Amino acid sequence: MKAFLESTFDRLRPSFEKGGPLEWAWPMFEGAETFALTPGEKTHRGVHVRDPMDQKRLMIFVLYAMIPALLFGMYNIGYQGFLAEGATEVSTVDALMRGAWHMLPIVITSYTAGGIAELVFCVVRKHEINEGFLVTAMLFPLSLPPTIPLWMVAAGIVFGVVIGKEVFGGVGYNILNPALTARAFVFFTYPAFISGAGVWDVGGKTFFVDAAVTDAYTGATPLLTVANGLPGQDPVGLLAEAGWSLGDMALGVIPGSMGEVSAVAALAGALILIATGIASWRTMVGAVAGLLATAAVFNGFAGPESSPLLSLPPHYHLVMGGFAFGAVFMATDPVSSATTELGRLLYGFGIGVMCALIRVVNPAYPEGMMLAILFMNVFAPLIDHYVVEATTRRRTARMAVQAA
Amino acid sequence: MIPHDIRRGLDIPIAGAASGDVVDLPIPATVGIDPREIAGLIPRLAAREGDTVQAGQPVMYHKFDQDTVIVAPVGGRIREVRRGARRVITGVVIETDASAGVVQHRAWTAGELAGISRDDARAQLLAGGVWPFLRTRPLDRLAPSDVVPQAIVIAATETGPLQPGASVLLSEGDKDALQAAIHALGALTDGTVYLTVPAGSSHPALSGLDGVEVHAFSGPHPSGDPGVQVNHLCPPSGGRTVLTLRAWDAVTIGRLFLTGRFDPSRVIAAVGTGVKAPRLVRTVLGAPVADVAGALADGPQRIVCGSILTGRATPADGFTGFFPRAMHVLPDVVERTILGWANPFNGMWSFHKAFLAAFGASRPQDLRPGVYGGHRAIVPTGVHDKVIASPDILPTFLFRSMIAGDLEGSVKLGMLDITMEEAALASFICPSKIDYDEILRERLELYAKEA
Repeated sequence: MKAFLESTFDRLRPSFEKGGPLEWAWPMFEGAETFALTPGEKTHRGVHVRDPMDQKRLMIFVLYAMIPALLFGMYNIGYQGFLAEGATEVSTVDALMRGAWHMLPIVITSYTAGGIAELVFCVVRKHEINEGFLVTAMLFPLSLPPTIPLWMVAAGIVFGVVIGKEVFGGVGYNILNPALTARAFVFFTYPAFISGAGVWDVGGKTFFVDAAVTDAYTGATPLLTVANGLPGQDPVGLLAEAGWSLGDMALGVIPGSMGEVSAVAALAGALILIATGIASWRTMVGAVAGLLATAAVFNGFAGPESSPLLSLPPHYHLVMGGFAFGAVFMATDPVSSATTELGRLLYGFGIGVMCALIRVVNPAYPEGMMLAILFMNVFAPLIDHYVVEATTRRRTARMAVQAA
Repeated sequence: MIPHDIRRGLDIPIAGAASGDVVDLPIPATVGIDPREIAGLIPRLAAREGDTVQAGQPVMYHKFDQDTVIVAPVGGRIREVRRGARRVITGVVIETDASAGVVQHRAWTAGELAGISRDDARAQLLAGGVWPFLRTRPLDRLAPSDVVPQAIVIAATETGPLQPGASVLLSEGDKDALQAAIHALGALTDGTVYLTVPAGSSHPALSGLDGVEVHAFSGPHPSGDPGVQVNHLCPPSGGRTVLTLRAWDAVTIGRLFLTGRFDPSRVIAAVGTGVKAPRLVRTVLGAPVADVAGALADGPQRIVCGSILTGRATPADGFTGFFPRAMHVLPDVVERTILGWANPFNGMWSFHKAFLAAFGASRPQDLRPGVYGGHRAIVPTGVHDKVIASPDILPTFLFRSMIAGDLEGSVKLGMLDITMEEAALASFICPSKIDYDEILRERLELYAKEA
């Protein structure tokens, strides 16, 4: 098998190399070859041996870390759908099947449409296929509601890949997280399909069974439920009334974006990413600290006539909405986040603060994680700038001591 | 003794360490010197092809600093001057002849050396051909012959992969020569002479020396690199220069002062899985790689003089070099694997924790010269920080600035402070497969030209 692959690629290579008839398609050939086989290239300058780690592996491990969120999300789509239709007992297999039915087309659309955009750019700009796309095209659908029309998925991912990444030169040069850029595009162009009540579960929309949603069904997410509460109402009480305990929300058996519902699945992903050293724990810790601190401050301001969001306990914030998923997978994107160690703590903290601010103070949308991360993406270079300046000053100061 | 514990760095577990007793080799039939190894030296021939030279007689000098010479390690007839592109001298080959004679300089007594004047010390270092052993920080190149260094660091430490260290290269009898070198070099500077030793070392040649401040370094590579040690002990400032050299080269310098002769003898290790029996040999400076390596393993081999990190690939008829005390032979074959990038159970050793094998104990590995990945832009995961041992350098920003060609910005970020060993480690671990060491070499060259 290996010998066959090697000889096939060796035979085809001349046609794709400089001067060959298919020279324009080199990125595709390179992509296919390095996908199938580890490169046989030998070091010819610099260090004679290299670590076997490469960017494909870096990115595939982010994908591996997303598997818990993906699988749980799949189950939960089906589960929420049956629940909305009044079911009391839902079998895991049914829920998974139904979830897959809704989720897979979205994921496949994302990979296909985004992949085409990526390929066209690679061919035109003559650079290799960036494997970061594997992550982007999975993050984006996981952050969407399960009822999103497929053409919006396609439009969003193309926008994210092109405007979020490729116009800057590809992975490593972009300023904003491409997956979030895609989501922000869909969010602001088609707000009715990605916010408010009624888009977060697939109740009544199914191919298998003929069912309608029950009268008790509201379709609101926990955050929306609290946001819609009357001034002075107890947020925990509101959630309990809707049938959600803290444990339910942590586990993720709530309506919401496909991959974002489960804080436990996000935590599992975080453990994989931190153990393999791929994502920065500093960003995650910073984000959690920022959110808890800001939410605690808001609790201090809560009065009898204030919005229930103001008095929502800080630890509830952690498990509601897209915070956990965003903090683990979106905020830690090494390219769009801050790069210095101290910078990452500050950047993460800023995300936590902004997330709580947007959730509580801003009346337009109850969820703030996406905008918080995009906002801090823009500020990351500034944070780094000051950390770099301080480090440089420290080094020159040490030299000046020597000179004296 | 002042301890320094360097945390950041990496010891690459590579197989093929040399062991056993030192084998004495006869004087080789030919010896060769490649002047390209001495960065900053523009060579001009001091003797022509066919000339007979005495041991210690200059064969090349520096075009822009003619007092700096490279001498013949062994007497004989100059058989060949090898030249590369644009007629650059790539080697001077001497057919050894024991009857060719030896150049005799002044022999000093230990008492006289303690009070040697700066001019006398400098004159003998230059004329004796040992000046090129001194390297500058920053820039890591040949020192100008009129330099008055801010400080001098003599490193008896070596942490490079499979590189022999003080325990092999220094013997008890070298103490006098080391002491002589400390006095002679100390005369060059008004500052401190530092001697750095491996932590916990009780080597008899390294204790009880006069005129040095002793510092002990511990930690993974590059804690033994003199450049890294300079950054911790005495970073050069105000445009001044710190000189560095290895203690075993200092012994050669000391002998020049004690005996008046250039002593070419040295221990060299032949290491790596490409040699049949890794071994230590005693031979002379410039010995052919074929003599030192002995029998090679079957298949294509890459011969590297120095370490796999910063060593230079050498042809099979090449010579062991001026600085290296090891030659590493690496099997030049790279195995490919199907879907290797997606398999977490891939058994290869890695610095990164994305290989399950990385969690186990690291046994010495048969590493191959594969790139194992596509070349990409830097994705700043912060992993490079873990191998940069010099303080207050942010490698991601420095490397980005160097790649962008911003010389002024790079200097501000520490381009002159980072060492080649650190850049080489960063290249080794880089998931984007960027050659930071080559980039650093180019940028320093450019900086030296512009400054």
